[in-house]
Amino acid sequence: MTRVSDVPRVVGSHRWNAGRIARIVVMVVIAAGFILPIVGFIALAFGSQENIESGASGFLNLGGMSWENVVYSWNQITGFGPGDGGLFQQWMINSAIVSVGGAALALVAGIPAGYAFARLRFRFRKAFLMATLLAMVMPNTVLVIPIFLEVNAVNAVGQLWPVAVIMGFYPFGVYLAYIHFMTTMPHELVEAARIDGLSELRTFFEIALPISKQAIALVAFFSFVANWTNFFLPLALLTSSQQNKTISIGIQELIGASPLFNATVAAGLDVKLYLPQLALATVISMVPLLAMFIGAQRFLVRGQTIGAVKG
Amino acid sequence: MTNHVLEDRASATTTATSSDTKGGGPAARRRRSWLRRDETLGAWVLLAPYTILFLVAAAIPIGYAFAISLQKAPTLVNPNSGFGGLDSFATVVGDYRFWSTFINIFTLMAIWLPIMIVGIVALALLIHASPGRFGGAMRFVYYIPGALGGIANFVLWVYLIDPVNSPIAFLWQGMGASTYKEVITPGNMPFILTAMLFFQGIGTWIVVVNGGLNGISDEVLEAARIDGANAWQLAWHVKLPLIRPWVGYAALMNLAYGFQLFLEPYLLRQISSGSVVAEWAPTQLGYAFAFTNRNFPAAAALSIILLLITLGIGMIIVTRSGLFGDEARTRPTRAQRKERRTA
Repeated sequence: MTRVSDVPRVVGSHRWNAGRIARIVVMVVIAAGFILPIVGFIALAFGSQENIESGASGFLNLGGMSWENVVYSWNQITGFGPGDGGLFQQWMINSAIVSVGGAALALVAGIPAGYAFARLRFRFRKAFLMATLLAMVMPNTVLVIPIFLEVNAVNAVGQLWPVAVIMGFYPFGVYLAYIHFMTTMPHELVEAARIDGLSELRTFFEIALPISKQAIALVAFFSFVANWTNFFLPLALLTSSQQNKTISIGIQELIGASPLFNATVAAGLDVKLYLPQLALATVISMVPLLAMFIGAQRFLVRGQTIGAVKG
Repeated sequence: MTNHVLEDRASATTTATSSDTKGGGPAARRRRSWLRRDETLGAWVLLAPYTILFLVAAAIPIGYAFAISLQKAPTLVNPNSGFGGLDSFATVVGDYRFWSTFINIFTLMAIWLPIMIVGIVALALLIHASPGRFGGAMRFVYYIPGALGGIANFVLWVYLIDPVNSPIAFLWQGMGASTYKEVITPGNMPFILTAMLFFQGIGTWIVVVNGGLNGISDEVLEAARIDGANAWQLAWHVKLPLIRPWVGYAALMNLAYGFQLFLEPYLLRQISSGSVVAEWAPTQLGYAFAFTNRNFPAAAALSIILLLITLGIGMIIVTRSGLFGDEARTRPTRAQRKERRTA
């Protein structure tokens, strides 16, 4: 416990006293508690129901993994739906459409808005920024029923485009852009552009936009992830149309068709959706998020260091 | 990050006021007001797409929901709903499920929030006490469950609460459960939800609070060390008071999150073969009003109630947490900076 005071300023000193060991043990045990369920879950996606029931899969299903299982499970998942199935792929495509569409709108709206809030003076600036911050910290599902009523009023329930438009409203993206321009674009730069006779719009497009790659990457990443994992909004707007569901509510339909939870529905199906199939569907549904994460990692790390810079 | 905003903001306002007050005859003033008009116009052009989305996805739905909530519920006899005043609010509050959904949420909060906050702070402090590669690796590992958003986290938990094949099946068997239905009981709901929300939420918040810890200057920590503080005292007496704004922010954000809980209780109901009620959380009750009863005025009224609650929490977060430089009261951050300077 007296590690630090005993060895002041000795960087990288490795004194193995009780406090240090206790800290490391606690942290590793907690890490194991976080990781092992996920390992078991991914192994489950490579497993088969028979092996799991007979106990042949062993600890965390690690003993029952095979590629044949994945092929079998894939055929079950993709066989789900009317006729030859194929709903799963359709749901993935729908998720891609609304997530990319929503992220694109969030960028087109959020980056210039963040710039205007950060560097321009206009009436109601404070009030509008305040409303944006409020919308940002408020959980978004609170608005889902009102949004459903609105979309219902224009007879667009069951269609994908309203979902993408609603997802395009992303106040956190505006806040990120706002912080970005506050920290990277000095006020003097705007003044100089003005003195040079640049219009406000040209100042944004020719000076601010080229230096906002970081903000664009962060807004695109966070909004894509939020859109992809959004559940309540598609549930309220798209449940009525099986073809137009997104993957998050599609997986809910798969759960509902599993013999584990609804024997009556499952009995009427050609495909059998047990836990390995549900796990595989879930793991596949996470792949786009993983790809986005790897793509944006560079920017995320840099974003974090900006956040960590001492004030 | 926030300090940046504050300082930047401060310099921004000084330049603005100095150029506003500095000399100039009527001609210069006219030119300035013309410039200001240009600036305002440019700002609104840049804000136009966002403003439209703000109206479509927030302002109009709220206004429309408020209008609908003041209507009478349509009945089979009289499908035309007219103005009903606060009838729908009375329907909602008088519904036998209304108070029980809030009691459920408060029960969950009483268990989940303390565990969550203690967990976030403890893990963030542990990471901060472990510099170098080990701390970084642990922070990454703690973040991984948070990457499993929404439904993915739920399916993972379907696997974990399987009373036969789960790696923690012994826990459920110890409780005498052998089916999902016996695990997911009304009494177990707050604990299962606590586990789910903790697992999913903790990683992001560790990163946030860790960001706050990284903002503490080396001089402060060094001074405390020279004064003979050990690692524990350093964490408890120096670091914890300095990250209070971030902890408060985490607590309030999670509190607001609790009121909008939907996915988890909704899907737990689905896999429990009905052993828990369909209207466990307030949002589920709203969903039932809208989609089961087709009573839109009541659904709208409940949304407005939830909106007011979360709006209240949101106002506290934005104005009091001291983390939002521009609009916020800056007291905590300013105090922090002063502390740093004097240290």
